Amino acid sequence: MAEPILEVSDLVKHYPLTQGVVFRKQVGAVRAVDGVDFRLGRGETLGIVGESGCGKSTVAKMLVNLERPTAGSIRYKGEDITRLSGRALKAVRRNIQMVFQDPYTSLNPRMTVGDIVGEPFDIHPEAAPKGDRRRKVQELLDVVGLNPEYVNRYPHQFSGGQRQRIGIARGLALRPEVIVADEPVSALDVSVQAQVINLMDRLQSEFDLSYVFIAHDLSIVRHISNRVAVMYLGRIVETGTDTEIYEHPTHPYTQALLSAVPVPDPEAREHRERIILSGDVPSPTDIPSGCRFRTRCWKAQERCAREVPALAVPAWFRTEGGPAAHDSACHFAAEKQVVPVEPHGSGPG
Amino acid sequence: MLLEVRDLHVEFRTRDGVAKAVNGVSYGVDASETLAVLGESGSGKSVTAQAVMGILDMPPGRITGGEVVFRGRDLLQLKEDERRKVRGAEMAMIFQDALSSLNPVLTVGDQLGEMFTVHRGMSRKDARAKAVELMDRVRIPAARERVKQYPHQFSGGMRQRIMIAMALALEPALIIADEPTTALDVTVQAQVMDLLADLQREYHMGLILITHDLGVVADVADRIAVMYAGRIVESAPVHDIYKAPAHPYTRGLLESIPRLDLKGRELYAIKGLPPNLTQIPPGCAFHPRCPLARDVCRTDEPPLYEVSATRGSACHFWRECLDG
Amino acid sequence: MPDQHHEPEHAVAGTGMGGTMDLGVDEAETLERRPTGPDGTGPQGRPRSLWSDAWRDLRRNPVFIVSGLVILFLVLISLWPSAIASGSPLACDLSKAQQGSSAGHPFGFDGQGCDVYTRTVYGARTSVAVGVLATLGVAVLGSVLGALAGYFGGIWDSVLSRITDVFFAIPVVLGGLVLLSVITSNTVWPVIGFIVLLGWPQLSRIARGAVITAKQNDYVQAARALGASHSRLMLRHIAPNAVAPVIVVATIALGTYIALEATLSYLGVGLKPPSVSWGIDISAASPYIRNAPHALLWPSGALAVTVLAFIMLGDAVRDALDPKLR
Repeated sequence: MAEPILEVSDLVKHYPLTQGVVFRKQVGAVRAVDGVDFRLGRGETLGIVGESGCGKSTVAKMLVNLERPTAGSIRYKGEDITRLSGRALKAVRRNIQMVFQDPYTSLNPRMTVGDIVGEPFDIHPEAAPKGDRRRKVQELLDVVGLNPEYVNRYPHQFSGGQRQRIGIARGLALRPEVIVADEPVSALDVSVQAQVINLMDRLQSEFDLSYVFIAHDLSIVRHISNRVAVMYLGRIVETGTDTEIYEHPTHPYTQALLSAVPVPDPEAREHRERIILSGDVPSPTDIPSGCRFRTRCWKAQERCAREVPALAVPAWFRTEGGPAAHDSACHFAAEKQVVPVEPHGSGPG
Repeated sequence: MLLEVRDLHVEFRTRDGVAKAVNGVSYGVDASETLAVLGESGSGKSVTAQAVMGILDMPPGRITGGEVVFRGRDLLQLKEDERRKVRGAEMAMIFQDALSSLNPVLTVGDQLGEMFTVHRGMSRKDARAKAVELMDRVRIPAARERVKQYPHQFSGGMRQRIMIAMALALEPALIIADEPTTALDVTVQAQVMDLLADLQREYHMGLILITHDLGVVADVADRIAVMYAGRIVESAPVHDIYKAPAHPYTRGLLESIPRLDLKGRELYAIKGLPPNLTQIPPGCAFHPRCPLARDVCRTDEPPLYEVSATRGSACHFWRECLDG
Repeated sequence: MPDQHHEPEHAVAGTGMGGTMDLGVDEAETLERRPTGPDGTGPQGRPRSLWSDAWRDLRRNPVFIVSGLVILFLVLISLWPSAIASGSPLACDLSKAQQGSSAGHPFGFDGQGCDVYTRTVYGARTSVAVGVLATLGVAVLGSVLGALAGYFGGIWDSVLSRITDVFFAIPVVLGGLVLLSVITSNTVWPVIGFIVLLGWPQLSRIARGAVITAKQNDYVQAARALGASHSRLMLRHIAPNAVAPVIVVATIALGTYIALEATLSYLGVGLKPPSVSWGIDISAASPYIRNAPHALLWPSGALAVTVLAFIMLGDAVRDALDPKLR
């Protein structure tokens, strides 16, 4: 893998649960993120998928320093950014920017588009000389496909897709190297999602960006990512290249997740195997012992309750190599194909 | 036909003028059939359903024309109290947001039981027994204990099951489900869709599934009606439409979604935005975004051309579209 | 996917239809938010902001027009009372006590033989001064403390919340009787001070809530991720989005403060003669209600109209700033 620009190790975020008003005592913790490791290479896109409550958004917030981790480190070019503050933190922030999910709440309704996209220059005056800012803002609007004449308009005059472009322009202003995108298209209409995804694709090569792309939609993640990490209850359960994860998944959770995604192809519905998981995700305040997926897993045995499976290439795949040999946190990891590899009729056109 | 909507028109008064939310929609659904109404936000898919259910807020909404024929009667001609008897008993609706559709201060048992005490005049005790039975039927484990719990004590998927149970309570002939799984996680989504399909088979109900998700449609629907700017632009059996769409909008939608089973490079993107409903373009409403658009599209509104006995497309150039 | 399921809270007064409809969430959004470009390619028309939208709404609202005119009139006569009342409010002639209306004295005379018209006109000055100054004090003190508590949270917030609880527990009139009876100064300042002292917790609670709501918006997170300072977050992102409810509540409170001043003066602990205040006049006239009801009616009527005007104005502003509350 290319030299990592971002290296996350053993990242933990627990939110304490307290009781009492005067004498607070901790009665437990929400273990939102519970030991996450990954590396992001330069120019790469890492997709993080998982269902609601799996901790993926909390990871995103820690990457851009909106939340302080309880433990663990995030190294940006070798420097641990979780310990930084003041000037040093501000400098790092220039290089790691975020695109938010909700284009309606992520833009200040009282500011014009010009002010929103130009705000990064107000906060980091060294990034652009004063007289140059208006031109820079208009350039940014042009880059994301908006009319540069729109600088004096307010966000509510734009549609969801256009607002998301404004958010992306703001994220790009300081020429960051890493962009963390938390569900950037899930609030948009289907026909507009494609526009925004294509834009992000184009910007990646144009500005040499590395993406951490967080989403619940497995199809979109496959489309945009080089590597994928699947999260469940605060941990990564399986990670690998997109082909490894989508065509050769070895963790039962990944298999269930993939098999549950409806494929827009009615021919496929008869001969697709559906793994329907029983029950709901356990509460992050009360995580099962051993393997945290065991309560919903059809393979679970006694050992799963006892031993926490490590995220590593399972021994039995190690020798033979191939696409099944990738990190999977399961004692009984086994390959199972759940996504039709050769689709029936490759769709219209 | 169990339900037939004919040439329905709905308008809304807004600050910016009259928004034409539904402009001549016709569709029908039979017993045991699943009709998917597919559309993006603002397509009028939910407004149509609300008009059918009779829960449209009027004002600001106004039905300006059309018929909703259900079991031989035009519902729009009924008086409000007659209409109310149809609602719940003969047709029921499932909403996207189960948490806000359930009353937070009543137990789920009380809310389920209410269907029987109000509509069927049952005693509280019998109604409670019925509630447990219903919760069993939608596969909520430990129904006998959980019937005493409040909505917030259930997970999202379980709440949606309770909504389904409530809709099923009086064994309606038709269920309208408005984005029933959009708020749920993928794995839970699959559970709930499965359940809905099983129950439909069991009760021979007609199901109108309103959604924006082409994947869900492909999984469960028999027929599709694709809506755009308040009109149906294509209507077809599900297999036909995915094989070869006969309207450029449908084609664009199908090509613009990333697929789990295909790793493409660039996605096809429909250019532009859906129109403002107060200013729908003349001619074909889709023409400003359409790659096939010609002069005639800017002036003449296309009727729903007959593509085959079971298919219709509101595109002047549907043949061209069909050939790809 | 609750991640995805969202109901954006829009503080913006949308271009929509007042948020009363029960469309599917997505459709409602579209109808409200679709840009107005006929070709669907982009927004058109002049830029609009919350304030210009609100102003457009207000101008068409008869409640606002009526209450606004009443308040404008009150402000003008409290600045230049002599413009419409020629005499002095203190020029009394006992021989005319309790007389009804006559030429040049349309409201008649009160028990002391003072001209009721002149006194009612001059009384407006006290009421407006107390109302405006007390509201200013309450708004500044309350919103600063509330905003700080809401923004920083933690111990600040707990302490402030307990203090506001204590103040809420004080009965206003009883507190006034106790506190103001020891003060001998006969100006509006002790009354204003008392109102500010008891009034700020209400505003601080509103400001705190509004700041907490605004703070959670993604655009505040976005600015934080850019490295924005506390003062920038507060002044540029949070305050402009939290100020609307404070303004609304302050406007309504203004009316009630005027009533409170009259109440305290009526009870003899607010302003005392020879100051001129509607409360004093109501108090002085009440023993003669059978013989000279006009002396009671005019100041009471002026008080009622004034208080009502401010409360109606507050309601109209609330409707304009937040159409969803209608």
